[in-house]
Amino acid sequence: KRFYSLKVAPKVAASATAAKVKLSPESQDLEITKLPNGLVIASLENFSPTSRIGVFIKTGSRYETTSNLGTAHLLRLASNLTTKGASSFRITRGIEAVGGSLSVHATREKMAYSVECLRDYVDTVMEYLLNVTTAPEFRPWEVADLQPKLKVDKAIAFQNPQVGVLENLHAAAYKNALANPLYCPDYRVGKITSEQLHHFVQNNFTSSRMALIGIGIKHSTLKHVAEQFLNIRSGAGAPGAKAVYRGGEIRKQTGDSLVHAAIVTEGAAVGSTEANAFSVLQYVLGAGPLVKRGSNVTSKLTQGVAKATSQPFDVSAFNVNYSDSGLFGIYTISQAANAGEVIKAALNQVKAVAQGGVTDADVTTAKNQLKANYLMSVETSKGLLNEIGSESLVSGTHTSPSAAAQKIDSVATADVVNAAKKFISGKKSMAAAGNLGHTPFLDEL
Amino acid sequence: AGGGRMIERLRKWYYNAAGFNKLGLMRDDTLHEDDDVKEALKRLPEHLYNARVFRIKRALDLSLKHQILPKDQWVKYEEDHHYLEPYLKEVIRERHEREAWNKK
Repeated sequence: KRFYSLKVAPKVAASATAAKVKLSPESQDLEITKLPNGLVIASLENFSPTSRIGVFIKTGSRYETTSNLGTAHLLRLASNLTTKGASSFRITRGIEAVGGSLSVHATREKMAYSVECLRDYVDTVMEYLLNVTTAPEFRPWEVADLQPKLKVDKAIAFQNPQVGVLENLHAAAYKNALANPLYCPDYRVGKITSEQLHHFVQNNFTSSRMALIGIGIKHSTLKHVAEQFLNIRSGAGAPGAKAVYRGGEIRKQTGDSLVHAAIVTEGAAVGSTEANAFSVLQYVLGAGPLVKRGSNVTSKLTQGVAKATSQPFDVSAFNVNYSDSGLFGIYTISQAANAGEVIKAALNQVKAVAQGGVTDADVTTAKNQLKANYLMSVETSKGLLNEIGSESLVSGTHTSPSAAAQKIDSVATADVVNAAKKFISGKKSMAAAGNLGHTPFLDEL
Repeated sequence: AGGGRMIERLRKWYYNAAGFNKLGLMRDDTLHEDDDVKEALKRLPEHLYNARVFRIKRALDLSLKHQILPKDQWVKYEEDHHYLEPYLKEVIRERHEREAWNKK
């Protein structure tokens, strides 16, 4: 899941890509280079009037330790603070003046600083982007002024109950690393120091863990910039701990009339052989409505639960992949009184799939939905940048959409059934929030 | 060379003649607190700020009693650190930058 963070300046609407005319000898394909210091550079020249450049770093809340929880969250908010080359005022005004925007987007495993602007002003915003990612100063008074924003950011995010449930889910499922919350814990607000931010950046923002991606820019320009400026810190930095799955349960009694519950087991890591099988299984079971306010006929979960209760509910399969682990399961939203029936009906549906109750037609439908979803997500320049960036960080290569679609097609029905079996037999973790009087515990399921 | 040393001696004489060192104050303690100085004071690290508050308090107390410190406790010209100067310079630079941008 992706969580958005502070935007510094207003965005200019991205214009459509220019028509496919061979205007110049520049390649229209994605070019990807890996420098000797480990930095990956990828660019796609699409002749668009706007350019989008991102610096992706393999860091995030999983690289925190118990002594510096919340540092990644504050770092997300600190993208506009003074750097060695430009003051905070200048960064904000400078980017605004050319109509660009700078934003930070972070998950548990990666952070992405991206700028977008009209093509003519790429140099200006690139300068600010490089300043922010390689030479922040974290002046103590600016950091102190920023800490209240942690509270606001958290309050806005937690308005959505799913955020709380997913934070608890990760805390319940893992012992370390991935258990760290994405949002700063309350006791740490006001206590994160400038030194901790510096330390985090020094240890994590190293060349071998970074990728510089550009869309709408020449590869040679990016390469030149990377060789000159992104050479600051070499080495692999502090290694993160390997995520250890433990399988636990966290319940948050709030008195809400709607109960949100997530039940998962350990799933597949990014790029592993089972990752695609789990993704297809997710779509077989139902990964969210495809027709707004429709009856969700293709979702096995929704059909199964609809037989168990007539109260409003929502259920979907939950699937997330990290670099060395993953989570797969179901996410239910139900009325407090019949939470138990909803959850049990949903789990029975997955059991039915595990016992072979899935046809080839179901699997094909799911594959088509998965492929469509993936292809549509990389249609926008933002989605494409994200996709290229994530893949560059993980493997330093790029899988073309057609190759990705082929991999999805190669998943067999038996793989899907095996993935479901893995869920049924695996050690489960659960997180629930709401009025939990009628919500069963893990050992009652 | 000779001219430089002359100016240095003049500076030292003027410093001692001004007399705030007899109350135990440093030059930056006596700066008039306009907006720039106030902002720079907000950025002082805690130990420097506490030392400044102590010196000012002590000087107020002495002035109220119409006394000065004994000669060995007067602040010496060489020991007078302009602790606020880097922060003040930065504040003024930022203000100039803001004004330059706003004029455009």
